[in-house]
Formats: sequence, structure tokens, C-alpha cells
Amino acid sequence: MSEPGQNMNLDYQTEGARVSTIHHAVRREHAEPEAGDEPVRFGWLLIGAALLIAGGGVLGTYSGGFSQDQTYAFAYYTGAGPRPPGANGDDGSAKGPWIDVWMAEGKKVYGNCVACHQASGSGMAGQFPPLVGSEYVDGGTKRLAAILHKGLTGPITVGGQSYNTPNLMPAWNTLSDEKLAQVATYIRRSFGKLPEGESGVVTTEMMKSAREEFSGLPSPLPTSELAKLDPAAHLPGAQVDLETGDPLGAAPAEGEEKKVP
Amino acid sequence: MSSTSPGASPQDMQERAAIDRSVRFPVMFFFTSAAAWLFAATILGMVAALKLRVPTLWDACPWLSFGRIFPAHMDALIYGWAMQAGLGIMIWMMARLSRVELRNATYIIVLGHVWNFGVALGVLAVWSGFGNSRTWLDFPSMLWPMLAATYVLIVVTILVMFRVRRDGPVFISEEYLVAAAVWFPWVYVTANLILGAKGSAVMSAGVTVWYMQNLLYFWFIPIAVAIAYYIIPKVVGRPIYSYPLAKFGFWTLAICAGWMGFQRFYGGPFPAWMPAVGGASTIFALIGITAIAVNLFYTMQGKFSLMQFSPSLRFSLFGMAMLLLFAVLSALKSFIGISKYLQFNLFELGLDTLAIYGVFSMAAFGAIYFIVPRITGCEWPHGGWIRRHFWFSTYGILTVLVGMFAAGLSQGASLDAWDTPFEVSVKVAKPWIVALVLGWVFIAFSNLGFFWQLALMFVGKGRRSEGPTLIHVAPGEAASAEQAANVAKGTAHA
Ligand code: HEC
Repeated sequence: MSEPGQNMNLDYQTEGARVSTIHHAVRREHAEPEAGDEPVRFGWLLIGAALLIAGGGVLGTYSGGFSQDQTYAFAYYTGAGPRPPGANGDDGSAKGPWIDVWMAEGKKVYGNCVACHQASGSGMAGQFPPLVGSEYVDGGTKRLAAILHKGLTGPITVGGQSYNTPNLMPAWNTLSDEKLAQVATYIRRSFGKLPEGESGVVTTEMMKSAREEFSGLPSPLPTSELAKLDPAAHLPGAQVDLETGDPLGAAPAEGEEKKVP
Repeated sequence: MSSTSPGASPQDMQERAAIDRSVRFPVMFFFTSAAAWLFAATILGMVAALKLRVPTLWDACPWLSFGRIFPAHMDALIYGWAMQAGLGIMIWMMARLSRVELRNATYIIVLGHVWNFGVALGVLAVWSGFGNSRTWLDFPSMLWPMLAATYVLIVVTILVMFRVRRDGPVFISEEYLVAAAVWFPWVYVTANLILGAKGSAVMSAGVTVWYMQNLLYFWFIPIAVAIAYYIIPKVVGRPIYSYPLAKFGFWTLAICAGWMGFQRFYGGPFPAWMPAVGGASTIFALIGITAIAVNLFYTMQGKFSLMQFSPSLRFSLFGMAMLLLFAVLSALKSFIGISKYLQFNLFELGLDTLAIYGVFSMAAFGAIYFIVPRITGCEWPHGGWIRRHFWFSTYGILTVLVGMFAAGLSQGASLDAWDTPFEVSVKVAKPWIVALVLGWVFIAFSNLGFFWQLALMFVGKGRRSEGPTLIHVAPGEAASAEQAANVAKGTAHA
């Protein structure tokens, strides 16, 4: 930072300037500027009008009716999003089919399983059984729910290959019914060979019933116990419309529960 | 070669000379200390950019960590260089336009020291880790009342000069200067008061962007425009094309600017209308900016070739071109479809740098090239240095802008893909950060000549000559010797 000294050697050290001592830069200068009075150009008015309309459009479309509760009035992310319906204050109406969201959530939950079963679901030879081509995955949902809620231990045969390792399958009952339903749906639809006409969807309601039903079983569940469950039995609960996620008709009665989903 | 301009009477000249003499010490004080800060800011800018590119560099030294260097760089650039250069220009131009001599030069110099002291404390605090990590408001909170008070006390003299001005029509630059003088304290104090009130963290992020955008539109841009409105008619010797248009531009900016800021947070956790209003007013403000551009264009029409010679004209017009670019990019970014890819990433840094360096600083250089010969009584030593200053500054700012645009775009695209891990968005931008390093190296290099020349002028070692220092006058360098001679004679003024 500078100190203004008197020895700065600037011009005009003397008071009272005479024209002859005025610095050339000041002498050759034009008079102080003024402004003319030309009218506003028409072409520019057009630009202005266009911008006015564009700005108004922004205000109209994005402002969400100036409501204090509306975080954003528009779908900021327009593709089939990962956001579950109801998140962030929107009603999920413009989010694409329900099943896409459900599967995307399931894929996230499956992040818990990849360490052992791999992202591809192929498992690890001799250590972790595969989910691809596993009858436990595309078979009855009751058995699958039992495995997820309780974990699994003991010798097991998956896809004709027997696994008899000290590795055990941890119980996932700490996850919510919704998350378990999502991951079950995800592995069934992605890895399982589902019978014709079956959607593979497991709903939260179904998972909930399984939690109650299996609460008495030991954890981790020995494979011997698992074998006592009907391999084709499905959890009770209504099937849902894949577009909207709404239940289809009434829940099947007790006797019917094996037929669907 | 006696070069007295047509229409300038001896009384006029005497008056101008007296005014220049009355403001010379405070103005030179602000210019030289601003230049010193610019030097510091460019060095810090280079280091910050390098750290962003190679984060592990000088790992052990906390003083060189990005989190400290970068805000220190921005604060030195804004409060050290830009604000002081702006104050110097405001004082000189207001004195000239009001046709009054400055009476309290010592008072301003004392306050100028206080300002420098405050900024130095602030930058040091940020640099040593006591910043509060709010963009552009990083100084420890006890400093802002002092800075605000100092600023107000300084601009009071500018307002007083305006108050006692000689009768006659008010020139458009004066309107901008008065506005900028009072807008800054309003924006600065409001932002700091709200932030001090310990509201929600989300809101303080909002207040910070409101402040940033308003500092740009309420201080940097008005002063840059005031410079252009002054320098251009001065150099080409014509009145500004249209006063109604100029007035319209001014009021459009005045009305729109205060609403801006939240458009940097589209989709953020605010009521939707806040970003929407910000985006819309950014687009409305472009109406005002195009009015300015059209006005200046018609004022310049047919005289663009003078840019070859006059440094003041070249710098300030370049600043205005960058202003148009800045305003157009900002308006485009107000559409969600575009801002989706350009917000929350390095492009914002590119845009801010464009406003501070490309728009304001370039215009300020233009003004400084005009003012300093008048108050020091000698001419700039070397036109070639001025030319290099211009070109390397231009390369620098455009490199930063293009690089940050590419970086931002790749970052934004990967941020927008929800199934891509966040890490990827950092990695894809990395190669482009080289442009930030390179840009600041260019800018630093370009300014070396400026610093050296300003120092020479300061100690009175400038050229003693009757003619101005033009960009192309060294033997053999003039595009046309005859033209250059004409320019030197009085049609153009460096
Ligand atoms: C710690 C490693 C580990 C994790 C994590 C794990 N599993 Fe398992 N999983 C196993 C093992 C080991 C078995 C075989 C148990 C046995 O041998 O009885 C198994 C068996 C299974 C089976 C029955 C056999 C088959 O291959 O179809 C299913 C279904 C299953 N796991 C699903 C899951 C799901 C869904 C998750 C994530 C929520 C998961 N597992 C997480 C280790 C794991």
C-alpha cells in the first residue's frame, strides 16, 4: 500500500494552473460527454419484447403459483426417476410407471447383497450361492421371505450345485418391510425365471405378513427348517397394477393364495 | 503538434486541470493499492487453480490448501482490487462530471488506509483458516461493520460532489455512479445482518447467492457501464446516441437486479417462486443490458477502428462486449433445461470470473489508462505493454470461461445422471481445470506490464510527451501511419 508523499513528482505541484502548464492529456481532451436524444430503435424493442415474454414464461412455469409450500412446481428430473413416489413433496404422478420406481429402489437395497451374491447375482463358486437360476428366488415368495427375514445356515443345493460352507446368510429383519419387499421384487424380476404371467412383485403388505408369520422361527434359519416350508407357497396379499402401484381387486382368500402372483 | 480539441475552451481546460489536481492523491492511492491487491489476487488465483487440478500438491501445508487459498484469492480480487479501483474511478469521474474540485483528499486517503487495513485483516484471517466459508462474505463477521462504515464514509464525498454539482443535465454515468455508491452498502449490510441473525443454514446459502448476484449487478456492472458511457464519447468525441435508451437501461437494471440470486439454486430446498423470480429477473435484466449495448453500438458506429489505437476505448468496449456475453449466458442459465447442466458446478466460477475480470476489470483498466496520465502528468511509457496487457488478459479470461464451461457441462451431465456416483462428476471435470490454471497464468503475465507501467507513472517516470500513448504507434507498428497521426492529433484520446 502506498503512502502519498509530496515528492511524488506529479505535475501541478504549483497552485493556479495556467493553460501553458496544463498537461497535454487534459488539453487535447474533448469536452465532458453529453447524451443525444435519438429515439429508441424498433428492432431493439422487438428484442425487449421477446425477452419479456421469455422471462414471463420462466416466472409462470417455475414459480409453482407462488405458494410457500411448493418446493418446486416442475419435475426437475424428467426421466424415469429413482425417487419413490411421495418424496420431496411431489405426488409422483409424473414419475413414470410405479414398477420402475419400485425396481430402482430395490436395486438400491440390493446394494446390501452384492458383497456376497455379486451385482450380477451370480454368487461365488463354492462360497455364496447364486441368485440367478435359483429356485429359492423364482419359487414361492413365502420361502424367500423366510430367508430374508431370518437368514440361512446349513448345507443347501441351489441350481443343482450343493453348497456346504461355514458361510451363513445374515438376517435382514432390520430392514423395513418396504425395503425387503423392494429387494425381493428386484431379485425375482431381475434374476429369476418367473413362470408365464407372473409379475414377480412382492408388496410391503406381503412382507409384513411374513414378518409376523415367521417371528417364531430361529435365526439364522437352518436349511433343515427351511425345507419344511412349502416351496411353492406364496405370501398372502393383493397383486398390484404395475403402472400405478394400486392393489388389483380384493386380496385373494386363504385357499387361493398359492395360485398367484 | 499542438492538439487542442475542438470545443474545449481554455476555461474548460483550466477547470479540468484543477479538478484532476484536486483528486490526484486519493485516486492514485486507490489505483496503486488496487494494483497491489490485483497482484496478490492473481498469484493466489494461480495457486488455487493449481490446487484444484492437483489436490495433493503441498499437502502438508494448511496455508496452501484450496479451502483457504481460493476464498483468499476471491476476496483479494473483489475487496482489494476491484472495489478500490472502482472507488478511485468513481471519485475522479464524479469530480469531472459534477465539475467540482475535491476538498477533502486527506480524509479519503485516511479512509482508504482503513479500508486496506480491513481487507488485509480479512484476507489474512481467511488465509489462516478463520474465514466463515460464505462465498464472497468469508471475512470474520466482526470485520463487516468496519468495512461498511469505511465505504459509506468514502462514498459520502462522492455523493456530496454530486449534490453540489454545477447546474446542467445529469450525465448517465453520474446516475450509475450514485446508484453504485448507495447500492453496495445496502446489499452488503443486508446480507451480513441476515447472516448474522443465525437463521437456517439453507437460508444463509440463499442469502449468500443473493449477495453475490447483487454485488455483480449493483456494483460491478453499473461502474463498468458508467466507465463505458464516459470513455466512449470522450474518445470518439460524440455524444451518447440516445439518452432515453440509456435511462431505460439504467432503470431496468435498477428494478430487476435486487430480485436475482436464487436462480443459482433451481430445484433447491426453497419455495419454488424464489428461484423462479431470480431467473425471470435475470432475463428481464438482459433487456436493460441490450439497451446499453445498442446505445453504445450506435455511439461507436463508424468509429470502431479507433479501438486499434486508444487503449481506454479498447479495454472499456471489450468490457462491454463481455457484459453482453455475461448477461446472455446468465439469462440462458435461467432456464431449467440449461441450468440443470450448468448449476452447482465449475461453470458458475467461470461466469463469476467473467463478470469480475472480463467485464469490470477490463472496463476499469480502460478507465485507469485514461485517468492516470491526466493526474500524473506523464504518458504511459510503452504502447506495446498495453497491447500485451489487453491480449493476454483477453486470452486469460476466455480460457477460463471456455474451460469452465466445458468442465461445468461434463460435471453437470454426470450430476444429472442419478445412477452415476458423485465422484465421477468430480473426475470428469478434472482435465478442464487446466484451463483455470492457464487462464490465471495468462492474466498474471498480462498484468506484469500493467503493474510496472503504473509504478513508473506513480513515481513520475512516465513518458514526457505531447501525444498520447497509443496501442499501435511504435515505428512500423501502426496499421497506417497517417491514421495513427490523425488519431494522435485529436480525433482520439488514449
Ligand atoms: C454375508 C454374505 C451374504 C450377504 C450380504 C447376503 N447373503 Fe444371501 N446368502 C449367503 C449365503 C452364505 C447363503 C447360503 C446359506 C447356506 O449355505 O445355507 C445365502 C443364501 C441366499 C439365498 C438362498 C440361496 C440362493 O442362492 O438363492 C437367497 C435367496 C439370498 N441369499 C438372498 C440374499 C439377499 C436378497 C441378500 C441381500 C439383502 C443377501 N442374500 C445377502 C450370504 C449372503
